[in-house]
Amino acid sequence: MNIGVIGFGKMGMLHAGIVNGLKGHKTVSISENSDFIGSSLKALMPHIKVYSDYVSMLDNEKLDAVFITTPVHMHVDMAIEAIRRKIPFFVEKPMALSASDSKRLVDELDKTPTLNMVGYMMRYISTFKKAKKIIASNALGDIITFNYSLYVSQLFKPGKGWRYDKTKSGGGLMMGPTSHVVDLMSWFFGPTHGVNASALGYYSKTTEDFIHAIFHMKSGVKGWLDSSWSVRGHRLVESRFEVHGSRGMLILTDDYVKVCMDEATDNLKAGWTSWTKPELHEEVELDIGGPQYTLEDVDFLEHVKRGEKIECDVYSAHEVQKIITAIYESAEEKGAFKVVNS
Amino acid sequence: MTPNLDTIILGHNQFFGVAHLSSEKGAQRDQYFSDVKNVIRMIEFSQSLGVSGLMMSTHPRAEAICDLIKKSKLRDEISIYPLLPYIAKYVRQANEKGLTNMVMDALSGASAMQKIGMMLKGGAGLLTKDVFKMMEILIELELLLFKGLKMRAIFLHQALTDLALGLDLKDVFLFYHEFIPKKFGAEAAYCTFNTPMLLEKFKVYGIENPIVMAPFNKAGFQMTRTLPENEKCLRENDLRLVAMSSLAGGYLKPREAYEYLFSNPKIESVVVGASSEAHAKETFETIRSFKKA
Repeated sequence: MNIGVIGFGKMGMLHAGIVNGLKGHKTVSISENSDFIGSSLKALMPHIKVYSDYVSMLDNEKLDAVFITTPVHMHVDMAIEAIRRKIPFFVEKPMALSASDSKRLVDELDKTPTLNMVGYMMRYISTFKKAKKIIASNALGDIITFNYSLYVSQLFKPGKGWRYDKTKSGGGLMMGPTSHVVDLMSWFFGPTHGVNASALGYYSKTTEDFIHAIFHMKSGVKGWLDSSWSVRGHRLVESRFEVHGSRGMLILTDDYVKVCMDEATDNLKAGWTSWTKPELHEEVELDIGGPQYTLEDVDFLEHVKRGEKIECDVYSAHEVQKIITAIYESAEEKGAFKVVNS
Repeated sequence: MTPNLDTIILGHNQFFGVAHLSSEKGAQRDQYFSDVKNVIRMIEFSQSLGVSGLMMSTHPRAEAICDLIKKSKLRDEISIYPLLPYIAKYVRQANEKGLTNMVMDALSGASAMQKIGMMLKGGAGLLTKDVFKMMEILIELELLLFKGLKMRAIFLHQALTDLALGLDLKDVFLFYHEFIPKKFGAEAAYCTFNTPMLLEKFKVYGIENPIVMAPFNKAGFQMTRTLPENEKCLRENDLRLVAMSSLAGGYLKPREAYEYLFSNPKIESVVVGASSEAHAKETFETIRSFKKA
């Protein structure tokens, strides 16, 4: 398939590289509005057509799919242009600035159904996939509560780029790595009924660097989230997730999944069982930024090829946006309970 | 014939808090080795056991380590294998200020870049020669901390090698392959998670018998494509493999891991971690029992 990439930042180059390296696919064109990056690309990649304007790229190239990897505030309009041309698209997370912004995309998609995917790649990390299977199997019994912490040492002075400009990113930490957690909670436990939240900005003056939130799931399960990008000692984004059920518990990190069962079940022994990353290793054709990105891109391209709907799409990502909007509203009102709009 | 690389190269991950199997373990080691004297002690101990190769990325802590090495007798005794660059720093900077700002800031110390910088501010694009000039300057700046130390081979970081392979950036590889020996008198070398793909592409690019640092272990951990395909690659291609992740991040027992590793051809070196003296001694002995001289 012939693929186009809009926006050649960190994620754009990653997806362009993966797709181009996969057998049977080619990154044929890139659109990038920075002269500096655009001209460097032209110098280094004579085999890839570089545009400074994405609309001309969509009009002039025969693309089988397009990756939208620009700053968040551009996502929705770009995706709408792809929909109007019926070009399947992949848009990086978070999908939109807010729930009302993502609603525009949902409305357009309702009018013109087009295959699409949103880049919540943590669903493709081997340990997370394993945890999902265990939770979905009901082995843990009734889920009582969960807690999720996500930390990374990223920001210790006011940030410079678009990620720290609310008008371009839609928010701070919550719109960055922590949006993954909201997607994962929906993936693991289904829809969220409401939230209480507290947000704190220290290095960022207009956005948040710390988030605490309590999730009230529609199923009745309650759990909490604690996250920051301004804590020391976390070289990479690190997750720790605990689920407590009536029959056992589960601990998930990026490195392992552990289960402790009160009694043996069909598939699990009593006591502790653990699985590490090397054990859960899945074969991939190539690896640039971690196998999860390759698995994600392959899944997208395969679905497009078969013309099949993808699980992690605009509709599921719109639910994520609604939860994030409710989290921001609750934080604004000192943690007042906010129902996630249906 | 180029002389062989050190059979055992002491890795740097433990010095910088990296542990692929466990972030918690990484953080613990990070604490111990944040005292640079503990790093030097480990390098000296390894050297006393005949391990004189040291992998070193351009991590912020590397400068202090290199300064101490330069002041000690280790200076003439060990070979440094730089890994270029310390990618987490750049990922963080790209997250913090965007790609263009990141490159501009990295270049800000270099006077030769002023012209290009002004041109960019004027809105004009870069020409091919400017892009390569820029890469030369970035590499020189990044390697400044190793000046005065013996460098045997300079490895391009996995993320960059693999990105360039994916995008098929032939000219970047040809540039790097020529620039490194010319400028630093060291061999150009490549760290990758995609050995089969690298060998296929390098054949097309005309880069022969490359030095490749790549994961190689029975579990297939961090490797791409199937294990038999990787084994076949070693049998059928000319390359000098520097094996890493031989223990699959601690998942495999050392004896079975090294026995398997050295049952394959073309393994010139192995990069190992050593979190304590006892651990280092045991690891070196195990490797030597399987690696025929």
